[in-house]
Parts: sequence; structure tokens; C-alpha cells
Amino acid sequence: MKRSRFPFVATTLILVFLYLPILVLFAQSFNDARFGGSWNGFTLKWYKLLFEHRGVITATENTLIVAVTATLLSTVLGTLAAWALHRFQSRMQKVHQVLIYGPLVVPDILMGISLLLLFVNLSVPLGLGTVIVAHSTFGLSYVAFVVLGRLQEFDHSLLDAARDLGAGSWTTLWRVLLPLLWPGIAAGALLAFTLSLDDFVITFFVAGPGSSTLPVQVYGMMKHGQPALINALSVLFMSATFGIVLASQFLLRKRYD
Amino acid sequence: MKKRTLLGGAIALIIALFALNACGPAKRDLNLYTWSDYIDPELVKAFEEQYDCRVIIDTFDSNEAMYAKLKAGAKGYDLLVPTSYMAEVLYKEKMIRELDLAQIPNAKYIDKNYLDGKAFDKTMAYSVPYMIGTTGVAYRDDKIEDVEDSWAIFGREDLKGRMTMLNDMRETLGAALKYLGYSLNTTDETQISAAGDQIIKWKANLAKFENEQYKSGIASGEFYVVQGYSGDILQVQEESENVVYMLPKEGFAIACDDMVIPTDATDADLAYAFINFVQNPENAARNVEYVYYLCPNTGAYQLLPEEIKEDPAVFIPEDLLDKAETIRDLGPDNQKYIQVWDRVKSAN
Repeated sequence: MKRSRFPFVATTLILVFLYLPILVLFAQSFNDARFGGSWNGFTLKWYKLLFEHRGVITATENTLIVAVTATLLSTVLGTLAAWALHRFQSRMQKVHQVLIYGPLVVPDILMGISLLLLFVNLSVPLGLGTVIVAHSTFGLSYVAFVVLGRLQEFDHSLLDAARDLGAGSWTTLWRVLLPLLWPGIAAGALLAFTLSLDDFVITFFVAGPGSSTLPVQVYGMMKHGQPALINALSVLFMSATFGIVLASQFLLRKRYD
Repeated sequence: MKKRTLLGGAIALIIALFALNACGPAKRDLNLYTWSDYIDPELVKAFEEQYDCRVIIDTFDSNEAMYAKLKAGAKGYDLLVPTSYMAEVLYKEKMIRELDLAQIPNAKYIDKNYLDGKAFDKTMAYSVPYMIGTTGVAYRDDKIEDVEDSWAIFGREDLKGRMTMLNDMRETLGAALKYLGYSLNTTDETQISAAGDQIIKWKANLAKFENEQYKSGIASGEFYVVQGYSGDILQVQEESENVVYMLPKEGFAIACDDMVIPTDATDADLAYAFINFVQNPENAARNVEYVYYLCPNTGAYQLLPEEIKEDPAVFIPEDLLDKAETIRDLGPDNQKYIQVWDRVKSAN
């Protein structure tokens, strides 16, 4: 029987549709022309200007501080939440599940505004701290659901076996549970990290003076100032994001044998 | 146990980063909330040295986004740079301070022509003008000839399909109102309607009404003539030397960004010092050369290099400034414009 060529054509078209703009962007970041209407020759000047731009440098530092801290917080909290959701069945856990699920479905703009109002009402000064809290809030939901997925394949008799063999709860946790869950936790953490790196809307609202992250900085530059720098910045940014996503895919695929 | 070391390392790194940010003697901070790339970084450095402080710049991409954030209660900014219409809103809502001009001696250099004729805040009660931009016409001097500095260019049938006007009710009808010799803030329905008819005539020659793509369109030569903002056109000019900006002799719209101090600023004295610093004629002139907008500072005018004074995209000659107008919020009268604009958009 002759195979239909449709899946091949559709896949190719979709891949082109998804990745062509990125390739164009990649090429444009080396284009001497500011608007990319024409190719004016190869240049590294956008990269050079980028590294001299004080706003971009500060924003990059902020982005990394926020992403690393928020990832750690959301990984710990998200994993605990996943464990609780998986292990215990009660009405409170149903509520818990809805609460964890919330940030995944609530529009960013609502999260941003409501978090800002919360911080203002509690008189918390806006800064890196508030950005970290905000990013941890949605990050932990993603981690929880990735880890939960992993837990569904989890064989609980392994824990019983460990206890049977005399392992205390601490040893069971460190030597059995965490190593088995590790790929899920790491994949969730990487997801949280990527989302934190990319978030604009929520960050725009909860960032205070001096705590703008790269996406906020970039958004301002797009409308005013030097848009061509953004091509270069996007290429660097995207390479990093792609790397992280690939790593997370790799970890997710790995099964515990 | 490798994982534990990794985790420990990560935590140590974060603590170190925080410590790095926090250490050093406590300096005064000036938290500036403004548009991206809107001040010469050298100037910021000079200010920091002179006042032994740090200038922390955060950027917004639209007046509305900034307003939404401040209105929700975001605090901590010492100096804002909104466009005039937004400065007026902020003032009415008591979100910014009345200024003590005694603390800004350089305010005396601000162009009286601009203040009396165009500014919303004529006495600088709450705002000091920072930079002015214009809405004019850019064209390709390699593609077309015999260009007259007039809005009439949109009536040229030989350029049919190669021209764009802004997709902005007030800017576009404003251009026609100016062409017909009316004020672009008129509330006279026959005048607005006449402007609508004029745009419909021009529309036959236009490729489209366009707010964003006209920049790349004129850079690539797809369009020969576009109505656009001076700041946008300047970016295009940096790349394409064939793009020329012109200010129509009949008049045009100008917009000004102003410096204002929020009511809850933590270091208002430093904010005053900063306003005064950028309005020092030498600094203002340097800043104009960097951002390529016009700071309405008469002391700076004479210090500007000739090439800038001859560039209509930056410098507005006095006789033309007289004909320029600021677009004002017309309140309920806006409805008159909306009706005519709907007619323009649906006309064939």
C-alpha cells in the first residue's frame, strides 16, 4: 500500500512556518541594515552595541538572578506539592489541585495586576524580590504538573521495599525517591527556568525600580530606540532557551530502568 | 552526593549575587522611568559622578502601560518622562508633584515660543519639556523629483500606490486640516468633514494607512512617500541615505515628552538636580545630538552643530514651529472625528 504523502508535507510546512522566522531573525542579527529591507553586508556591530548597552547588561543580571532563584523555589515547592497531590486524597487536596492549576490557566495580565495590587496593599517594596515571588508562583505550578506526571508512573512498592530493607524515611527519600523522580524534577525546573526567562507581562507589573528583566527591557527597545539590537539579543536569548528546552526534553525521555 | 554539592553551589552563587548587589557604601539612587535609549549614557555617567549617586533607568513602551502600573500603586520612581497628554492626566490625578522652579534654574532656557504656543503646561507648574518630536513626511529622493514641502504631495497621482499615511485618526485628519489651513484641534464639523473629503481624495493614491511597516517600506524602497513620526524616520535615515524628511509648510503635529516628579518620589531633590542637569544648555545640546529629538532649550539651540540645525527631522525652524500644533484631547468632541474617520476608512 502506498503511503500518503500528506503527513510529510504537513510536517514540513509546519516546521517551515515555525522555524523560518527564527532563521530569518538569526540572519538579520548579522545584517548591517537596521530594518532588514535589504542585505547591506555582514556585521557584528549589533552584538558589539549590545554588550555596551548598560540597560541590557543590568537586565541580563536581573533576569539570571530571578530565573535561578525562582527556579529553585518553584522546584522545591512544586515537587512537594506534586507529592502531596499524589500521595493524599482528600477534599482539601482537590482544592489544592485547583490552586496549583490556577496559574496555568489564569491570563498573565490578571496575574500581573493582581500580584501588583497584593504587593502594594501589603506595602512590599517592588524589586527583585517581588519578581522572584511572582515567577515562583507560576513556576511551581509547572513543576508540580511535570513531577505529578512522573509520579503516575511511579512504583510505590519500591518505597516499601526500601523500608523493608531497613532504610529510614530520610534514606528512602534521598536514595530511592529523589533519584527516581530526578528526571521529572529536573525537567520541571528547566521549564520553570525557561518560563521565568521569557516572562514579560507579569514581570512588567511587579518589577520595581532597577529590577527590570530582559523581556521588559526588550519591549521598551522595540518601540523606541534601537530595534536592531533586539535581533542580536533574541538570537543569544533563543539559543540559551533552545539549549535548555533540548536538555529538558532529553531528561524527560530518559526512563528509570 | 554530587547533586547536593550542585545545589549548595547554586545557593551560594545566588547569595553571592545578592550580596554583590547590596554591598558598597549606600549611595543615593535616582530611579528614572523613561523610554528606551532616550538619554545620552555619557550624560548619565557625568551626573552620577557629579552627584555621587546611581541613576537606575527602567523603561516602558507606552504611556498607557506606565500609567496602568503607577495607577495600580507601583512606587519607587523619582522621575518620569511621559508624553504631555499623559503628564496632564497624571497631574489631574495628583500622581505627580507641582514643581518648585527655584530648584531648576535652567528652566529659564526653555523655549518660550513652545511653552506659550504649544505646551499644555505653559507655566511649567508640573512638567519640564524634555524632547519634541514631529509628525511629517519622509520621501525617497532617488525615486521622486520636484518635491514641494507640502501635504499636497499625497495628491500626486504619479506616486499612486507608493505612498502611505498613518492609520491614526487624529494624525491623519490633522494633516488634512493643516493642509486646508485649519487647526488640527478644530471642533468645527464642516472643517473636519472637509478634511475627511480631502483624505478620501488622497486615499485613492495611497497604498494603505500604516503605523509600523512604513519604516521598513520606505527603507526598502517599496514606498516612496510616507507620513511618519520624526523619531521613526531618523532610524530609517541611519541606514538609507536616500530617505529625506520634510516638514510641510502648512503645519504639522508635534508631541513633547516631559519630565515630571511623582508625588511619592523618594529623592525629589535628586530628581530636581537631574532635570536641571539635562537642561544645562551644553548638556541639552549633547543630548540632542545623541537621541536626535529636539530639546526645546534656547540655550542649546546655538550650541547645536549646523548639520542638526539643518535637519528638519530634529530641528524645527522658528517659522515652522509657529504653525505646528500639539494634538489635544477633545473630550466629547472626539466623536466628530470618529464619524468622519469612519467615513474615510469605509470610502473606496
